[in-house]
Amino acid sequence: MTPPYILVVDDDVSILRLVAEMLEDEGYETRMAENGRQALASLDGEPPSLVVLDMRMPVVDGWEFTRLMRERGFDIPILVMTAAQDARRWAQEIDAAGYIAKPFDIDQLIDAVRRTLSATEGDEPRSTLSILGRWFPARGSRGYAAG
Amino acid sequence: MSADRLIQLVTEVPFVIILLVVLVEAARHRTRASIDVALFFGALAAIVVVSWVNDLADEPAGGGLTTATAIALMALPYLLLRIVHDFAGVPMVLRRLGEAGLVASAVLLIVAGTQDRPVLVVELLVLYFVGFATYTTVRFITEAQTASGVTRRRMQAAAAASGLLAAVLLSAGLSAAFPGPEALWTGVSRVAGLLSALAYVVAFAPPRVLRRVWQEPELRRFLVRAAELPRLPDTLSVVQTFEQVVRATTGAEHAAIALCDAGRERLVTPTMAIEDHTEQPRDTIADRAFAQQRAVFVEDAPRSDPAHADGAREAGTTSLMVAPITAGERRLGVLTVFSSRPPLFARDDLELVVLLADQAAVVLESRALIDEASRVRAMEEATRLKDDFLSAAAHDLKTPLTTLVGQAQLMERRARRWPGTPTDLEGVQRMVREAGRMRSLINDLLDASRADQGTLVGSLAPVDLAALVCEVAELMETRDHEISVDVAGPVPVRADRERMAQVFQNLLDNAMKYSPGGGEVSVAVRVTGDDASVTVTDRGIGISAADAPYLFDRFWRSAGLDDRRFAGMGLGLYICRRIVDEHDGRIFVRSVQGSGSTFFVELPLERNGGSE
Repeated sequence: MTPPYILVVDDDVSILRLVAEMLEDEGYETRMAENGRQALASLDGEPPSLVVLDMRMPVVDGWEFTRLMRERGFDIPILVMTAAQDARRWAQEIDAAGYIAKPFDIDQLIDAVRRTLSATEGDEPRSTLSILGRWFPARGSRGYAAG
Repeated sequence: MSADRLIQLVTEVPFVIILLVVLVEAARHRTRASIDVALFFGALAAIVVVSWVNDLADEPAGGGLTTATAIALMALPYLLLRIVHDFAGVPMVLRRLGEAGLVASAVLLIVAGTQDRPVLVVELLVLYFVGFATYTTVRFITEAQTASGVTRRRMQAAAAASGLLAAVLLSAGLSAAFPGPEALWTGVSRVAGLLSALAYVVAFAPPRVLRRVWQEPELRRFLVRAAELPRLPDTLSVVQTFEQVVRATTGAEHAAIALCDAGRERLVTPTMAIEDHTEQPRDTIADRAFAQQRAVFVEDAPRSDPAHADGAREAGTTSLMVAPITAGERRLGVLTVFSSRPPLFARDDLELVVLLADQAAVVLESRALIDEASRVRAMEEATRLKDDFLSAAAHDLKTPLTTLVGQAQLMERRARRWPGTPTDLEGVQRMVREAGRMRSLINDLLDASRADQGTLVGSLAPVDLAALVCEVAELMETRDHEISVDVAGPVPVRADRERMAQVFQNLLDNAMKYSPGGGEVSVAVRVTGDDASVTVTDRGIGISAADAPYLFDRFWRSAGLDDRRFAGMGLGLYICRRIVDEHDGRIFVRSVQGSGSTFFVELPLERNGGSE
């Protein structure tokens, strides 16, 4: 059984990969989706513990994704991540746990993710994992794994 | 008093009353027509008064007085002819004939004496009278056709009165020729006389209430037409249409609205300004009416305003009426109505012109308000577009910036955490790519600004359009979208190569952007007549018919477009259009919403294309 993971959704592939890497460096397991439809597909099987969600996307956008996800009975916290000025309003609109305005600082992202996860899971069960993850990044293949 | 006498009085008294009315009128406005009208009723009243004096004296007046009365009677058709000439013109021959007839009648009357004139003489006199009275009747009728409102009714009344007057004389003539049924002729004469008197009252001294009643339907019709006016597209067409409506309502030959040019404090006639660009005359009667804010009737413009007499004669204008167009305190201009002859009922006509000028003030004020409202709307729209543009620009710039900032911070963090790790090549490439994206967005902004200044396209050189399109298509092709290219051979045009490439880059980029899911994009280069034409076709979401006309406008993005999915600054197609414009070409789109679009770029073909 794979541990709970963070689902990153963004149609901009550069940002998608970058966010995933940032989170993985902190020891989180991640999966990536380029739009709402791909994101919905990855809910089947094992659901993520958090969704970092871009709003403006082709095919199925952030609003549609949120609606469909909840329709399917998933109650997964969402972090809205957008370059639009309406980030805060959109986050309220879809009842998200928080938002990150692009362009963001790496610390903002990590803080927001950490806070959201601890708020929803109370005693932060993966804290050990994330501390470990700091020293043992998940993907050694990228050439920056600690020797 | 006998009934006969009563009828006679009722017939006769009105003429005296009318004389008083027209005398006052002639004293107030001394026009040729008003003087002739006064003369006409003076003659009629004189006849009446003489007959009263005769009755009172109870003995026949002297022969001289009777002859003078008869001559006065015979002067009536001639005076009527003069009145008609004053406002409508009578051919010279007829006028001379009328004068000759009057002189001949006078001579006949004097020679024949007062006692038992021969029947032939009577018949000649009646023939002259009835002939000219009938002519004037016909002229009154035809002139009434072209007039309207009060003038028309008064004209009709004048026609009836003159016709009936002719009937009175005709019955006298008939009684002389066929003296049998004396009572019949007397009856006809009495009735015609009475009706004629009443008709003359209506024509020349109409009560106020009648004027009101006659004016009302005309004004109502006018108001219905005027209500539509403020909605016309611009002030010039409002003025033009209003002038037409005024012409139709007054029956005048020409009407002109002069508006006060706020900057130069002078009157300008917009409809004259289009016809000729010459300087418009100054210090005219209209200018003076405007300065004094007073309605003016000028019977003989060339005489009253010698400085502009030539212009007036050239335009065939004799008489004019000017009324200031003023809304409250705001002096907007003047309405001038021109005619080749002064009107018969100048006071009524001037009153109508004043009413129309007041209406013009209402129409022009509403027009100004509509202009103001649409100016405000346009400004709000421009502000909204600019706001939308700024937020779209910010969004588009933030996206690559996110990667740049994030990637740099990530690399910095890793370098601190794990010193000595090799360079993250993929991360560096990502930064290079996003920096490039940002640069091209900024270039778009600069291009749009250059396009506004008209410095977008550099010098033109011979270019093979087919080769250029192939090159761009190859560069643009991505993993998701294949571009099929259809070219038949070299297509020579003169172009700024780099800018033209930018057009096709943009069109192909849009084609791919708006056909999500890897739809087919095709591009073809063709020669049609004198034009080279490039088409870029996609099977994407298409463009609605309502949006198509605005597609190439600056900052424009479809309102129906889901901007959550398709962010963008709306500059691409604007830049394309400006580039194509500066190549003397044209760019347009045909699209069916939901099933794709085809963009056309047409450029003039280079004739000596092979000599490159």
